[in-house]
Amino acid sequence: MTTKSDHELVPVHELMSEKEVKTLLDSMGMTLEGLPKIFDTDPQAVKLGAKTGQVIKIYRREGKREIPYYRVVVEG
Amino acid sequence: MAKDKEVSKYLVEYGEPVGIIAAQSVGEPGTQMILRSFHLAGIESTISTSGLPRIIELVDAKKKPSTPITYIYLDEKIGKNFDRATEVLKSINEVRMGSIAKRVLENFTKGKIKVVLDKQELESEGVTIKHVAGKIDKALNLDSVVEDNGIVISMHTRNLKEIRAATINLMKMLVSGVDGAGKGTIRRDDKTGEFYLVSAGSNIEGIMQVEGVDRTRTTTNDVFAIYRLFGIEAARNSLALELKKTLKEQKISVDERHLNLIADAMTASGTIKGVGRHGLSGEKKSVFARAAYEETLKHLIHAAAFGEVDSMRGVTENILVGKQIPIGTGAVRLAIKKEDMAKIKPQTSKKD
Repeated sequence: MTTKSDHELVPVHELMSEKEVKTLLDSMGMTLEGLPKIFDTDPQAVKLGAKTGQVIKIYRREGKREIPYYRVVVEG
Repeated sequence: MAKDKEVSKYLVEYGEPVGIIAAQSVGEPGTQMILRSFHLAGIESTISTSGLPRIIELVDAKKKPSTPITYIYLDEKIGKNFDRATEVLKSINEVRMGSIAKRVLENFTKGKIKVVLDKQELESEGVTIKHVAGKIDKALNLDSVVEDNGIVISMHTRNLKEIRAATINLMKMLVSGVDGAGKGTIRRDDKTGEFYLVSAGSNIEGIMQVEGVDRTRTTTNDVFAIYRLFGIEAARNSLALELKKTLKEQKISVDERHLNLIADAMTASGTIKGVGRHGLSGEKKSVFARAAYEETLKHLIHAAAFGEVDSMRGVTENILVGKQIPIGTGAVRLAIKKEDMAKIKPQTSKKD
């Protein structure tokens, strides 16, 4: 599930499946706690209906490139 | 793929102290900023804080910028047309009763307030007397009658205090526009020829409701307003953008990745945190790192009283005790895998 960007400053947010999260964490050798956080009350997290503990993938645009960034949903 | 390979050559290596490099990269040109402050002259109606004070404001995560500014972009068709852009500006411009009233006459014996309106002001703001009277009825719940060039309001009371209070309230009343939007001006983008509005307020939520405003491009220099409206990721972008803009204004070139890193660090917790004592530095895990920064005694006494443990993983605490710092080659804690360790046989001396 992805959000539609409603502003120039907002990149596309995508809710990751549990499987994707596991492969991501394994590839980087880190735990959920190590990821940057996003509150469950965040407007974009609310749009996705994200729950605590889930991971949101963010498609950041930097120039022409698209760089993925990850945030774990925490209680806000 | 070839391009990816090229990129990977320039990636930061493990153990690189990116934070320290970022701090020094911003800090060094920052020393020049104090000496070089610009004094602008001209018709600039919205003067914003710039230079070092603005950088400090951003990095300290101040809840309100000292000079909030909203850049209002208009829908494509309206943006090309000056007259239609002016119309939108009129519907945004904050007009209070006090600014359009020429004279206010209070009649305490009859319990009446008469407001004589300034016709020129009314015309320039694009509001009619009827509209003003309607607003009074609705907003303040008073009876008003339009009389040639003014409005007469009859009060239910003759109490001096109450009438005075009503007058003061009346002068503060919003006649038209968006609450907190301030007064705006029209500007023209030299590149695209498009008209956009600049307003000295920060009520971006209210401004976005106005018809003709492009919701996807309208921004403000108030990072917290962006955070409330669009979330942490937009706030991070806004923060990095504001830092870049401020430095560019001062003709200082800092690689944008340093600024992106600062913005990332400030927003990593899900909300915007300042860098100083109440933010990133004050919330470090290590007791020694906190004590080395500010309020040394407070942190040491607290740590002693509550039995805090310092795992000695950071840079500061290791410098403090004179150990190798975990940066670069020092960051490697164990250079051999456990499985490989088992393969190594203890060496026996041949002499025996």
